[in-house]
Amino acid sequence: MLAVDSLLKYQASSPERVAFCENERVVDYRSFCLQVASISARLVDDGVNPGDRVALLLPRGIDAACSIYAILFVGACYVPLDIKNPDLRLAFIVEDVQADCLLGEGDRPAWYSSGIWINLLESSGDATAKIDIEKVYCAAPEALAAILYTSGSTGNPKGVSISHRAIDAFVQWTAETFTINGDEHIASLAPFHFDLSLFDLFTSVYCAAKTSFVPQSLTLAPGKLVNWLEEQGISSWYTVPSILGFLTLRGGLKLGRLPALKRILFAGELFSIERLNKLASLLPDVALYNLFGPTETNVCSYWLVDRARLTELKSSPIGGSACGASFKIDSGGELLVDGPCVMSGYWQGGGLQKKEAGWYRTGDRVSENERGELVYHGRIDRMIKSSGYRIEPAEVELVINHYDGVQESLVLGKEDMISGQRLVAAVVGEALDMQGLKIYLKHHLPSYMQPYKMIFLDFLPLLSNGKVDIQKVKAQLEGL
Amino acid sequence: MNDVLKQFVFQELVQVSDPKKFSDDEDLLEAGLDSMGIMRLVVFIEETFGVTLPDDEIEPDNLQSLNRIISWIERHRS
Repeated sequence: MLAVDSLLKYQASSPERVAFCENERVVDYRSFCLQVASISARLVDDGVNPGDRVALLLPRGIDAACSIYAILFVGACYVPLDIKNPDLRLAFIVEDVQADCLLGEGDRPAWYSSGIWINLLESSGDATAKIDIEKVYCAAPEALAAILYTSGSTGNPKGVSISHRAIDAFVQWTAETFTINGDEHIASLAPFHFDLSLFDLFTSVYCAAKTSFVPQSLTLAPGKLVNWLEEQGISSWYTVPSILGFLTLRGGLKLGRLPALKRILFAGELFSIERLNKLASLLPDVALYNLFGPTETNVCSYWLVDRARLTELKSSPIGGSACGASFKIDSGGELLVDGPCVMSGYWQGGGLQKKEAGWYRTGDRVSENERGELVYHGRIDRMIKSSGYRIEPAEVELVINHYDGVQESLVLGKEDMISGQRLVAAVVGEALDMQGLKIYLKHHLPSYMQPYKMIFLDFLPLLSNGKVDIQKVKAQLEGL
Repeated sequence: MNDVLKQFVFQELVQVSDPKKFSDDEDLLEAGLDSMGIMRLVVFIEETFGVTLPDDEIEPDNLQSLNRIISWIERHRS
């Protein structure tokens, strides 16, 4: 992988260059690489082999970044878990991905019984780890580097499997397109189970840049977050529109602030054009880029925000090809993508379901405008986007349907000014207990997948063709 | 004011097993109040109670519990 090669190069050629910062902790390329070597020696000692899958149960930060590089050093594939997921979901994912090893801090979790457990807090006993370039495994381009679990339309989470080739294509494209170099200071806020983090983890190192992890508490304090970005002298940031919207509305942004900031890349959800326009006017010298693509294609298109057109546009175009992707729009308006960034397939039910060669159907409805830019029109299926999270209603319904007394349910996305959409549910059953159901959902689903409002119905209304009358249910739920 | 605020918090923002048993000092951030929830809450407070909350005061210290939120609102009511 390009980023691994770069790390090995820079630890020797510019060892004192700063690689990552987390609060007061600063690591240069040399000491970062030494920590990576130490963890990778431990992985080997504990029996991790090339091609294995190593799940990661760590908060975003330097230790997790070191661990990811260590996993790649030994030729294994990293599976970043969302530490906020309930245990039941974590257990499902670790079982589904057939993790050979779980890396975390503290005691072995009760839900992980088989496989190797590595506690990072325990000293490896090898403080004198050396960087032995010969021992760094050289993975084949098609070997899997990462598996990112996402909500599955069949009712269970599924793993988007990403090869070294796909990450390299993304890294090269971002480095060239955004002219990232060693002088860049990148802010990292995306959790590692989100594909946005590939920029912070890999493009950064490939370009010998410095990356600082945004302290978690600042996501709840927009004014302080802006101060932090300014004090740090952040120059590049790849984040989600919901955070940018929060900063735009309540971050105390005004002309002259964030003088070091050169560019913001955003992806993951729609950015309302009014808010984007406001952000653009508050930061007149910052290049804004709308990056687009489901996790399965990483970034397949992008649009450099054209400020002159913002007042006349109804929505932000998703632009033209990124990362060497080719497009096709079928007769139903669905976007098909092929290119080097496309995933290898879904990891599901214990193995990789290899994707057939050729076009990947995104499920996104698009069209081309008069300038030849792609414009997004929504999903052809039921997928919901809420604050950047993608949610398959079927997964939530399956969990609800397993609750005592529930016969069936329907989960929908309610339009929302702040999150884009919020989950609501209609539940059919006998003698149901609302509070009990809510607690049950808390134990089975991450908070962003729990419907914030639910109604109980005697039956789901049907259309004459026998299908559920979604519009009718929607109208009932809108009134909540 | 307390009841209106509580109703909004427990119906719209955080799911707790029993809102009646959730004390006014308990940690709302632990209970699941996130950045989007905070944005909803700030808009709700300003619209409902007619106060203006300064941007630089939107931070965990003022939002950690119902009591903290209430005293934050009180400070801006004249």
